[in-house]
Amino acid sequence: MTYCFHVGICICLVLFQTTVMPYFNIFNGFYDLLSPFVIYLSLSHSLRQSIPVILFFGFVMDSLSGGPFGLYLTTYVWLYVGVRWMVTFLHVGDSFLLPFVVAAGVLLQNCIFIGTIAMFKPGTQFLSAAISTVTVQVLWAIFTGPIFLMFFNYSHNRLNRWRKKVFVKEN
Amino acid sequence: MFSKKMVMIIGVIVLIAVNIIILSVSNRYYQSYGPGRIAISLIAPFQEAVSRSIRFVKDIWVHYFFLVETAKENDIYKKSLSHAVEKDNLHKELKLSNNRLRSLLNFQKSITNKVIAAEVIGKDSSPWFNTIMIDKGKDDGVKKGAAVVIPEGIVGQVAEVSTNYSKVLLIIDHNSAVDALVQRTRARGIIKGSSSDRCLFKYVLRKKSVVVGDTVVSSGLDGVFLKGLPVGQVSGVIRPNSGIFQEVSVTPYVDFEKLEEVLVVLNPRKDKFQSKQ
Repeated sequence: MTYCFHVGICICLVLFQTTVMPYFNIFNGFYDLLSPFVIYLSLSHSLRQSIPVILFFGFVMDSLSGGPFGLYLTTYVWLYVGVRWMVTFLHVGDSFLLPFVVAAGVLLQNCIFIGTIAMFKPGTQFLSAAISTVTVQVLWAIFTGPIFLMFFNYSHNRLNRWRKKVFVKEN
Repeated sequence: MFSKKMVMIIGVIVLIAVNIIILSVSNRYYQSYGPGRIAISLIAPFQEAVSRSIRFVKDIWVHYFFLVETAKENDIYKKSLSHAVEKDNLHKELKLSNNRLRSLLNFQKSITNKVIAAEVIGKDSSPWFNTIMIDKGKDDGVKKGAAVVIPEGIVGQVAEVSTNYSKVLLIIDHNSAVDALVQRTRARGIIKGSSSDRCLFKYVLRKKSVVVGDTVVSSGLDGVFLKGLPVGQVSGVIRPNSGIFQEVSVTPYVDFEKLEEVLVVLNPRKDKFQSKQ
């Protein structure tokens, strides 16, 4: 059930960011919506519940994007590992830290992207554009990231409650 | 031999290196096949459905709801525009008519004599002489020496008259001379034609004040042109160190290149003056 929920949420996020958001100019500089979901998985779910979803949707995003294959996969995996590592010494559940965790995740993802492009496409001049893009994404992440995390958490809790109710009635 | 921390760091470095190698290999050699196509096949139908839904909603919004508002606005704008155009036309007509009436009124005030309108039918072909031919002559009451004017200013005077046509000597011609004065200071002089489109305002006393921009009008003392008819605007003043006159150049108000119709004054003031005498 949890897998279904995760897959459902990820499909919605992928569809939203690939079909709905391009219609709105305001979302031109928006970050990858799967990043907060990966952060949510690393914060709230076990490795067994998270890794298959992360790998699958990393693979899906790699298939849909024009970047080197494996880039999204790499990003999500390292993001997951990084947040799991961060949890060991930071109390990330604190809502005050959530914006910065998401922002750090978005920053990490952008760093990996830029590093990859710089490595495989030497001579690419994107300094000013990169700075502007990263800044906008990080700002978006600070202000909207926690909302997504809270929404994922809330939805999952609702689903769990509904599932418990259903199973109790059946028993 | 190695601490746990060290192993972890080495592990991370190895993982990063492996990751970079995998990315590098996939970047160079990866071609979409099998699983990649499956992923696209899985997601693309949803994307298509969502995109179509969005487009459908957008089309409805743009072509219906938004269009209704646009149509309403358009109607209002069209009405406003038609009113504005109507008003604009009215204003233009009023302005033109006002200008014409003012011009006629002013001109009528300045010319109390009988005038006849004539059409310019020819211009002097020689660059050395500045004359025009008009379609009115002796049969129309035109006499030699009659003043030729237009509302903008003095054109010249009739130099020769035939039965139905007349030759008019323009004020810019060498042979033309018009008694004139500066409107502001009443400094008197003679407007003489020059080689260019300008006239020379000769015999203006050096002690008289004349500046660029001053208006020169006819003095009426020559017995040809009525007093106060505009001649031109002072365009240059040279006050020599010696001599009793200053050199003043005047640009006529009349554009002789675009001259098409003129008015011939049939009974100059001289006649009136004589009759009064």
